[in-house]
Amino acid sequence: MVIAWEDGHRSTYSAEGLRWACPCAECRGEAGIPGRLARVKHLDPKELRVQDVTLVGQYALQVAFESGHATGLYTFVLLRALCDCAECQARKAAK
Amino acid sequence: MGPTPQQVLDVLATIQDPDLGRDVVSLGMIKELDVSPQGKVSFTFELTTPACPVRDRFKTQAQDLVGDIPGVSEVEVRMTANVRPAFMRPKPSEILPGVKQTIAIASGKGGVGKSTVAVNIAAALRKAGAEVGLLDADIYGPSVPAMTGSRSVPEQVNGRLKPIEAHGLKLMSFGHIYPGEQPTIYRGPMVGKAIEAMMVQVDWGRLDYLVIDLPPGTGDASLTLAQAVPLTGVAIVCTPQDVATDIAVKALQMFRKLNVTPLGLIENMSWYVCPSCGHRHEIFSHGGAEAAAQRLGVPFLGAIPLEESIREDADKGTPVVISRPDSAGARAFMEIASQVAARTSIQSFRQLPVINVR
Repeated sequence: MVIAWEDGHRSTYSAEGLRWACPCAECRGEAGIPGRLARVKHLDPKELRVQDVTLVGQYALQVAFESGHATGLYTFVLLRALCDCAECQARKAAK
Repeated sequence: MGPTPQQVLDVLATIQDPDLGRDVVSLGMIKELDVSPQGKVSFTFELTTPACPVRDRFKTQAQDLVGDIPGVSEVEVRMTANVRPAFMRPKPSEILPGVKQTIAIASGKGGVGKSTVAVNIAAALRKAGAEVGLLDADIYGPSVPAMTGSRSVPEQVNGRLKPIEAHGLKLMSFGHIYPGEQPTIYRGPMVGKAIEAMMVQVDWGRLDYLVIDLPPGTGDASLTLAQAVPLTGVAIVCTPQDVATDIAVKALQMFRKLNVTPLGLIENMSWYVCPSCGHRHEIFSHGGAEAAAQRLGVPFLGAIPLEESIREDADKGTPVVISRPDSAGARAFMEIASQVAARTSIQSFRQLPVINVR
């Protein structure tokens, strides 16, 4: 998945990276209980292929994976933070 | 010899739209320009909203500027309006496809007069000539039916509900669907479903503006709405005292987090003129919303007085902008509706993210 931001920046994401970054409550855990992604080491290949992406309001993207998992709403703030291009990595390292 | 059309456009291009920050020619507002050999110039000036706050100024400016061109004998300016859809989007939205602009009216606290403001803004936009709908998203405490004097039950046509018509507005409220004293006893997720149903299963048709009256707070209703439709913007209503403005700020920040543009703050119950002594009282303080708007860097849309007539007419089912158009309250609502419309127009020139799936 590629995002061209309004400021001209471009971010590229792998489906696998997005799946492991899923921010939904099931994957992340809630109320202090660890989520699924903290427990499992491997995900089925179906879980790692993107099927569809839709816009949520004006603030996030909903990514649907081939496994049917689609509860993660990736806010644009999160997506920008996930960008690991050389420029963004350097900026994160500097912090 | 009359002037060339280009000469006319050149002088009109010096008129700037204060809200959109560009000249009216490049914004495509000048249409059907005609110059006769005798020097008669006529054109259509198409505004982005019939409730445009600078409508009269634009007309005089255009008339004077064109009239000053040598060779012009007569100027005819036809003022019209065509509300543009919010956001430049590649295809119409699937949810509410015929609605050009969606404006949410929210508040942090309850009891600040949000529904009164929503009803009157809708009525004011309608009075200005726009096609307007009003969706009451307050599932637990719907007040739109009472405030608009519409207590009929919606008809079903082809499995979709027809909005209730009153005062030239298209309305839909849970109070129409479940009239009487039966309460709606719903948990959160059901509230979201109910609001979605009122958008999808109601045949709203073509509307310039859909005004959405939200329940107070920052919970399910507001969240569902912000996720389901790209809202053009949200106006926040509050009363002037600190306890109210503090909470209004929370509501505003919630919408900011969801990337919904704040159209601005509205101060309700801003002052009260005593009918017996004529004295102006500021019962809930005054100016709190304006100060908060300034602090947060959002527009202040205006202040509405506390008037018995606003409440009386709401109870009787006619918005005050219709029943007493010359009262201070009605004038305040008209002014605020214009401001809301102007801020909304700006959004037509923003682009939503485009998603291509391959």
